[in-house]
Amino acid sequence: MNKASLVVYTALTILAFMYFLPFWSVLTTALKSDIEVRMTIPIVPPSNPTTTPLLKAFELMKQGLVNSLLFTSFATIFSSLIGSVNGFMLSKVKFKHSDTVFLALSVGIFIPYHAVVIPLITVTSKAGIYNSILGMTIVHTTYGIPICTLFFKNFFDELPESILNAARIDGAGDFTIYKRIALPLSWPAFIITGVFQFTSIWNDFLFGVVLTKGSNQPASVVLANLLGTTAAEWNVQMAGTFIYALPVVAVYLLLGKYLIRGYLAGAIKG
Amino acid sequence: MGSHSLNPLAIILIASLATAFFFIYGLIGWNMLLSFTKSMGLITSYELAGLAQYVKAGSDAVFHVSLKNNLMLITLFIPGSIGLGLLLAVLLDIAGGKGEALYRTIYLLPFSLSFVITASMWAWMYNYSYGVINTLLTALLGRAFQINWLGDPNVALYSVILALIWQFSGYTSLVFLAGIKSVPESQINAAKIDGASTLQLYTKIIIPQLKPWILSAFVVLMVFALKAFDFIYVLTNGGPGVSTYVLALLMFRRAFFETDFPYGAALATILFTMVISVVVPYLLLSSRREEK
Repeated sequence: MNKASLVVYTALTILAFMYFLPFWSVLTTALKSDIEVRMTIPIVPPSNPTTTPLLKAFELMKQGLVNSLLFTSFATIFSSLIGSVNGFMLSKVKFKHSDTVFLALSVGIFIPYHAVVIPLITVTSKAGIYNSILGMTIVHTTYGIPICTLFFKNFFDELPESILNAARIDGAGDFTIYKRIALPLSWPAFIITGVFQFTSIWNDFLFGVVLTKGSNQPASVVLANLLGTTAAEWNVQMAGTFIYALPVVAVYLLLGKYLIRGYLAGAIKG
Repeated sequence: MGSHSLNPLAIILIASLATAFFFIYGLIGWNMLLSFTKSMGLITSYELAGLAQYVKAGSDAVFHVSLKNNLMLITLFIPGSIGLGLLLAVLLDIAGGKGEALYRTIYLLPFSLSFVITASMWAWMYNYSYGVINTLLTALLGRAFQINWLGDPNVALYSVILALIWQFSGYTSLVFLAGIKSVPESQINAAKIDGASTLQLYTKIIIPQLKPWILSAFVVLMVFALKAFDFIYVLTNGGPGVSTYVLALLMFRRAFFETDFPYGAALATILFTMVISVVVPYLLLSSRREEK
C-alpha cells in the first residue's frame, strides 16, 4: 500500500469510527444493568451482559411493533402494486397531459405532511378509520402513491418499446401486455419500491402520533413516549431503540443496494 | 389510448390518482381554508376571518425564534452536509473496490434509520453526566471541558445541527459518488496524462462537473431544513426554553398540544409555501432538462 492510499484509508477508518460510535453506544448500554450504566463509560462493553433491559423494552413495545409491522407490510404491498400500474400507464400507454399529471403527482413526494394532518384527522374520523390499523394502512398507501409511481415510471421508461411492440402487433391490449410482459419484468422495481416503502413507513412518526392513540400507536410513537417518560433508565431506552431499529438495519444490510437505488431516484425522507 | 381505454389498469390509475390528489391537494386546500376562518380551537367554523391567524404569527415571539432556527439549519446544516459529503465521496472514490463498498455502508446507515432512533441515540451521546461525548472529553481534557450539549440554550441548536449532519452526510456522499462515477473515463485519463495530481484531478476536473448532483442534494437538504420535525421533537422538544423550536415543531405544538387548529393551519400553510417555492422550480427545471 502506498503512502497516499494509507492516508485515505486512515481517514476513512477514523471517520467510520465516528459514524459508528452512536450505534456502538446503544448496543453496549442496552446490555448493561442499571448500576453498570452509571458506573462505566458508555463505550466500554458490559462486563456482565444482561438481557433484562431488552426483555423489559420488548414487553413495553410489543403492541407497537405488531401495529407497525401490520400497517407497514400492508401499505408497502398496496402502494407498490398501485405504483406499478400507474408507472406503466404513465410511461408506456400515455395520454393527453400525462406528463403534467405526473409532474403534479411528483409534488406529492416533497410536501410537508404538516400541511395535511389537521384535515386528515377530520377525514379519517368521518370515514371511521381514525385510530385504527386500517386507517394507518390507507393513509400510508395513499401518500406512498407519488414515490411508488415515480420508481415504476423510471423503470418502465428504461424498458425498450420494442419489447412491448411485438405483443402489440399480435393484437394484445394494454392489460395483457402489462400482465404478461411488464409485470414479470419489473421485479427489480418491486424490490426497490418495496424496501424503500417498508423503511419509510416503518420509520414514520408524524402520522402515527397524530392519527393513533393508546394500543393502536406504532412503535415509533411508543419509543418516543418511552424516551420521554423514563428519564433515568437509559439501558431500557437504548434497548428499545435497538429493537425498533432492528428490522430496518436488517433490510439495509441484506437489500442495501436496492435501498440505495431508491435514494438515488430523487427520493426524500418524510 | 384506443378503444380498450377502460381496461382495469385505467380504472386503477384514475381511482388512485383521484385519491392521491384529494389527499394531497384537497387537504392542502382544506388546511389553507381553515387558516382563513373564524374557527376556535376544535370548533370548526367556515366564517372567514381573513388574515387574523397570519397577523397572530407576526406577533408570536416563538414564531420568530422558529424561523430564525430554520434559517440556521439552512446556513449551517446544508453546507455542512454538502461539504462533509463531498469529502467522504472523494475519499471513497480514491479507495475504490471493497473498501469503498464497506465504508459507504457504514456512512449511509444513519440515513436509513427513523429520526426517532437517531434522536434517541444522540440524546444518549449528548447526555451531560453519562454520555459518550462528555465522558470522552473528561477523559482526554478534564472535567472543565464538559459541554452541556442539550441543556445550554446557546449550544443546543448546534448540537442538533451536528447530529443532523452526521445523519445526512452519508446520503450526500452517496449522491456525489454517483456523480463522480458519471464523469467520463476519457477525461480522467487525459488529465492524468497531462500530469494532474490526484488533488487537481478532483478540484479541477471532477468536482466542477458535480453541479447538477450538488443542486439535487441541495434541494433535498433544503426541503428537510424547512420541514425538520421528528428529530427535534424527540431530541429537545424545542428546549431548553424555546431555543431549538423550528416551524414544524411550533405548528405541531400549537395545533395538537394547545388545540389551536386555525393557527396550526396557518403555520402549516406558511411551511407549505416555503417548501413549494423550492420544490416546484426544481421539478420544472428537471422535467425541462429531460425533454431536451
